[in-house]
Amino acid sequence: MELVVALGLIAFKVALLIAVLLLLPLPLTWMERKIAGHMQQRMGPMRVGWHGLLQPMADGIKLLTKEDHIPAEADRFLFKLAPILALAPPFVVFVAIPFGETVSVLGAEITLYVSNMNVALLFVFAVIGLEVYGVIFGGWAANSKYALLGSLRTCAQMISYEIPMGFAVIGVVILAQSMSLVDIVRAQADLWNIVYQPIGFFVFFVAGLAEAQRIPFDLAEAEGDLGAGFHTEYSGIRFAFFMVSEYVIMVLVSVLVVILFFGGWNGVLIPLPPLLWFLLKVAFFVYLFMWFRFTFPRYRYDQLMTIGWKVLLPLSLANIIITGIVFS
Amino acid sequence: MSRALDRVGTWVGWAFFADLASALGLTFGYMFSRSVTMQYPDKEKWLPYARYRGHHFLKRDAEGEIKCVACELCARICPCDCIEVVPYEDEKGNRRPAKFEIDTARCLFCGLCEDACPADAIALGQQYEFSSFSSRDLVIGRDDLLLKPGKAASGGGVVAARLDTQKTVLVEANEPRGYNWWRNIRRR
Repeated sequence: MELVVALGLIAFKVALLIAVLLLLPLPLTWMERKIAGHMQQRMGPMRVGWHGLLQPMADGIKLLTKEDHIPAEADRFLFKLAPILALAPPFVVFVAIPFGETVSVLGAEITLYVSNMNVALLFVFAVIGLEVYGVIFGGWAANSKYALLGSLRTCAQMISYEIPMGFAVIGVVILAQSMSLVDIVRAQADLWNIVYQPIGFFVFFVAGLAEAQRIPFDLAEAEGDLGAGFHTEYSGIRFAFFMVSEYVIMVLVSVLVVILFFGGWNGVLIPLPPLLWFLLKVAFFVYLFMWFRFTFPRYRYDQLMTIGWKVLLPLSLANIIITGIVFS
Repeated sequence: MSRALDRVGTWVGWAFFADLASALGLTFGYMFSRSVTMQYPDKEKWLPYARYRGHHFLKRDAEGEIKCVACELCARICPCDCIEVVPYEDEKGNRRPAKFEIDTARCLFCGLCEDACPADAIALGQQYEFSSFSSRDLVIGRDDLLLKPGKAASGGGVVAARLDTQKTVLVEANEPRGYNWWRNIRRR
């Protein structure tokens, strides 16, 4: 009986997580377009619903009813597989993400995470690395030079930036003496990691920007020079899959930054519910992503590689050494 | 020495991303500035200035007679040859236009006809919404020109508007003067 309840609870959590993550791009696209508009002295969407609030719904319906076009020379199997490969890993990662300790519902203590793995951090990096397959397959299968160039760039970018990203969190692991995300947050109850790990945070955040393929590192879909990059040839719901994946990764990087460096659900000064604190911090970082997008220009490809290998990698290595010496 | 110090200061600033931070500050400031968008046509509409050169109109004198004396000077000076005037003599013996047609599809709204007119009969008014599906409809005759709205009395404002698509598409605005659109421009 207990097993059934536990399984049911896990199934419920997973279903809730999938539903929330699938619906999350709706408010996020609205937010992004509003922020873009106001930063450029425009209004953004205004016509569908109050201040354009229903615009994402209209866009979703439009994408669902669009023709699902596959280019004649495309590799049909990979072309259909790629959006799913791009969409699934960001969702899978959220299994290991804790959103808080516990809440009591009807007298029962329910944990705010699906699973508390003791290798959660490793799991996150392993699974998020798979997302690049969707991008590479999408670019390759479309058989278009723009898509292929976009996915080639993504491939190089992901490899260069996942290394400093992985190194940057080692300092956090040293501090928490654990790779479980719940333990990492508990270790920050007194003082957030950002105080001990400013370089680690910097490297992780910049690499996260590159990982999420947002401006200033959105070379994979550089509209100016590549059409739309790896999803040039995609239309309709398959294109929507790529967009959802992009937004979920953006949220994921924000969540990881908050958990690893900004104390997760630990609040300061104002006593708010832990979950609310967590969501507020994540919302701030999501806003930061959008703010960056409409402020900075895109880096050139060689600059991107220079930053990755000559700046971030040495910085992250130095961070590991310093952290190791100080906290051993 | 101070130049060297300035250079050091610049480098220190770059090391702590002072340039990126100032860029972020700028966009953040813009985010809370007024947007310059005009929600044309169904919510707001621009009222042109008094000197705006919109659609032509023909004037009447105090007795309600058409002012035009059909001298055809406007037709002569028109650089795109889009005015056609045919004169006739009315019952009082005055020279008047029997036909006064302007092909607004060819007109470039230079206002030379207004300058050339010796009788102060033709002018370019405030109307700017006269798009059409057929270029035939853009040839406007004498009687229609007499009915066109004249120069704007006060202008340069944004007024509340309503879009009427019942019979023809029509943007209606009733207020004489709206808010000054230039107040939305952010200046530093």
